[in-house]
Amino acid sequence: MKRRGLRLRAILTALALVAVLAGCGGSSTGAGDAKRGGVLRIGTSNGIDSLNPFVGINQDDFAVWLAIYPTLLQYDTTKPGMPYKGSLATSWKFSEDHKTLTFTIRDGATWSDGTPLDATSAEWSLGVMFKFADGAAGNWGIKDNVTSIKATDAHTLVITYSAPAATALYALGNTPILPKHVWEEAASGNGKGLKTFVNEPSGDKPMVGAGPFLLTKYQKGELAMFKTNPSWYGDKPLIDGWGLQTFKNKDALVTALKGGEIDAVGGIPPTALNTVKSGGLVVDEGPALAMRDLIINSNPDKPKNRELLNLDVRKAMEMAIDRKAIVDTAWLGKASEGSTIIPPAGASDGQEWHNDAIDVVGFDIDGANKLLDQTGYAKGADGIRVADGHPMRYEIVFADDESGAGDRAFQIIQNGFKQIGIEISQKKMDSSAAWEAIYCDDDCQYRDFDLAMWDWFPAADPDFMLAAMTCDSWGDWNDSGYCNKEYDALHQEQKGATDPKARKVIIDKMQQMVYDARPYIILTYDERIDAWSSKWDGFVESSQGFFNNFSTQSLEKVHLK
Amino acid sequence: MRGWSYLAKRVSFSLMTIFVATTLNFFLFRVLPGDAVRNLSRVPHASPDLKAQLRRQFGLDKSPWEQYLLYLRELAHGNMGISFADQKPVRGAIVEALWNTIPMVLIGTIVAIVIGVATGVLAAWWRGSWKGSIGTSFAIFFYAVPTQWLALVLLIAFAGLLPSHGMSDPYLLDDSTGAKLIDLGRHLVLPATTLALTLYGEYALITRSAMLETLGEDYVLTARAKGLLPRVIVRRYALRNAMLPVTTLIALSLGYLVAGAILIETVFSWPGIGYAAYQAVVERDYPMLQGTFLVLTFSVVLFNLIADLLYARLDPRITL
Repeated sequence: MKRRGLRLRAILTALALVAVLAGCGGSSTGAGDAKRGGVLRIGTSNGIDSLNPFVGINQDDFAVWLAIYPTLLQYDTTKPGMPYKGSLATSWKFSEDHKTLTFTIRDGATWSDGTPLDATSAEWSLGVMFKFADGAAGNWGIKDNVTSIKATDAHTLVITYSAPAATALYALGNTPILPKHVWEEAASGNGKGLKTFVNEPSGDKPMVGAGPFLLTKYQKGELAMFKTNPSWYGDKPLIDGWGLQTFKNKDALVTALKGGEIDAVGGIPPTALNTVKSGGLVVDEGPALAMRDLIINSNPDKPKNRELLNLDVRKAMEMAIDRKAIVDTAWLGKASEGSTIIPPAGASDGQEWHNDAIDVVGFDIDGANKLLDQTGYAKGADGIRVADGHPMRYEIVFADDESGAGDRAFQIIQNGFKQIGIEISQKKMDSSAAWEAIYCDDDCQYRDFDLAMWDWFPAADPDFMLAAMTCDSWGDWNDSGYCNKEYDALHQEQKGATDPKARKVIIDKMQQMVYDARPYIILTYDERIDAWSSKWDGFVESSQGFFNNFSTQSLEKVHLK
Repeated sequence: MRGWSYLAKRVSFSLMTIFVATTLNFFLFRVLPGDAVRNLSRVPHASPDLKAQLRRQFGLDKSPWEQYLLYLRELAHGNMGISFADQKPVRGAIVEALWNTIPMVLIGTIVAIVIGVATGVLAAWWRGSWKGSIGTSFAIFFYAVPTQWLALVLLIAFAGLLPSHGMSDPYLLDDSTGAKLIDLGRHLVLPATTLALTLYGEYALITRSAMLETLGEDYVLTARAKGLLPRVIVRRYALRNAMLPVTTLIALSLGYLVAGAILIETVFSWPGIGYAAYQAVVERDYPMLQGTFLVLTFSVVLFNLIADLLYARLDPRITL
């Protein structure tokens, strides 16, 4: 289902402008002599939840908007470190003080119905997102330090900022530009109509767009069909079109791929790897921009089980987690051991952001026991430690998107904790209920929960993931109750650090702070597994797979052999 | 006249049941942790204004009691509301989903009845022999297996031979009605077979026990003594009388079928009412949930009523 639930949505939503990716290998094909034609059948377990860019939150929604709407920029997923590349904008330039960003918009672009598409179109669409950034368009996050968005002529779009903006391209580049003549009424008044606008093709006419493809057919929860857009301003795709079918069951998805009902799938579960390998399919693996985490409630005002705020208890917990066993047993080797909140696959602006200098405490049951003995929480007769008069027995809020590998990881953690005198039990809920269990409500923030297990699918640019740990994010992305003014100050500082090297220094420090405070114990980083029929070639891979919201290169270059 | 008053009593009782179930459903979903607005407004910079605005828009700012009265009033006008998830009328979505569910469920059930009754009759006739035991064992096995497990086993076993997803091939090039029907038929096979297999066991076991009862009756003995063929004895003497509980069971289980297809529809991504209910739960789409549960409640109550009336009609010993 929502392939990884709210968390995933979370990120993506917020991200709005997902940043780049690193470590994107993959094969690109010269379009020269490649075969043209054919319809690529993609299967997904994520699916489109809404085609309205002010409502949808699934990864597939973002990938679809990128395919059907123009964006100023895209990411070049064929190059490591991922540079930005022009799309509707052919070039862009910052002023000396980094407070003005000027995009040059290409000539002659049109919407699929012939309406001109120029700088004024971008001004209107981004302007709507800016205007309602505190309301209906909050998910696009066009707000930080922006003071104006202006088209000075048909080819020039100028954005001004109140302070130097290191994340400006990340925040604007991949945001879809929506057709004014379709959306104008919905965007009138207080913008409430943006959330309720039904953005779907009606009748036989494709939806108005200006991406490489046009959406021709949509059945919620089942299917979306696309055909090549003849008036697309970029490189012409080699295929005639593609379809996206949603499978609510991953076994059914893998079976359909193996049986030839569909041509390509991203996000194959590690347990199905042998099945796809034996099916004569092309399999592509690589590090993914995703991680699994154990959350420890860090709200300093938490009323119950306050021993969990003790840094030694948190450290002992990490020492009792056998990450290697989780990688080997829960993920069948298709993951790597986790450390900080920025995964190694995350890079943007030609910069890798993961802090690999962090000294991760290893798996050490004896050491953990020693540390806990020093806290004075002695073991009771039943082997469970007693803290402030109560046994150290906790419930883990377990988001059901984590089922499967997460269940096996939980058992390994449970076993490790038992050896240090801490008993945990699993409380499974769907993502909506899990979030409520963690957050409670505006008047009881992060009061009741102790521990949780969930995942993150961060943006390649670290800003989003870093923001999720700030005090300001309480009630939206912050799911640990962590709040540290010093950390927040650093978060603001990195936003203004326009030199990536200088920014990295700050971000390293932030990663270290979070690691030491342990609102999260990062268990593992995912590896992605994609597979496709050997009849197809030319897929362009990324840390989000071949069907991603970084760029449309994969869909432009894929072709029949 | 007694019959009419019985009918009136049963119908009013059924309506009351639907009303109570509707009310329970309404409040049950609101007790669930998590709500649609919280899902939609969990975005950075979501101001309290946005949350309030969304709550107002979805009518969630009103007290549950006010929401309930509003819901009843609209329902009385045939309006089931607008889906939170896609802003479309719930009624249209439910009607469409029902039309998708019915052919699959109907075919599955008919096959289950035919195989179930046949197995039950033979197992009773061959009681004590290995043939009878095999029939009973299979019936118990399929009665016991979890639906989703059986669905997955079939799906994997027939990978590549039969479609595993949805009810039509969106890439079908041949646009003729014949080709579309064949395509639909191919898509129907796996979900309908799963349904038939999970249902037939129950029919077989009930038929068998009812048959055993009637086969021991004096009139069957008389028939045997008259030298009638086994085929005739079974069909004209035993089965007719044994069908009484089976008929009731069929009527009863038909009511649950729509709900029972949730697992099958989810595994095969069959766009029916069960799949719609599953999605609505995940999205906390209250109007859609209320709509699907209303349909499910209505169908269970309706078929219960039919079973009641049928029973009285089939067995003259039961007076209304």
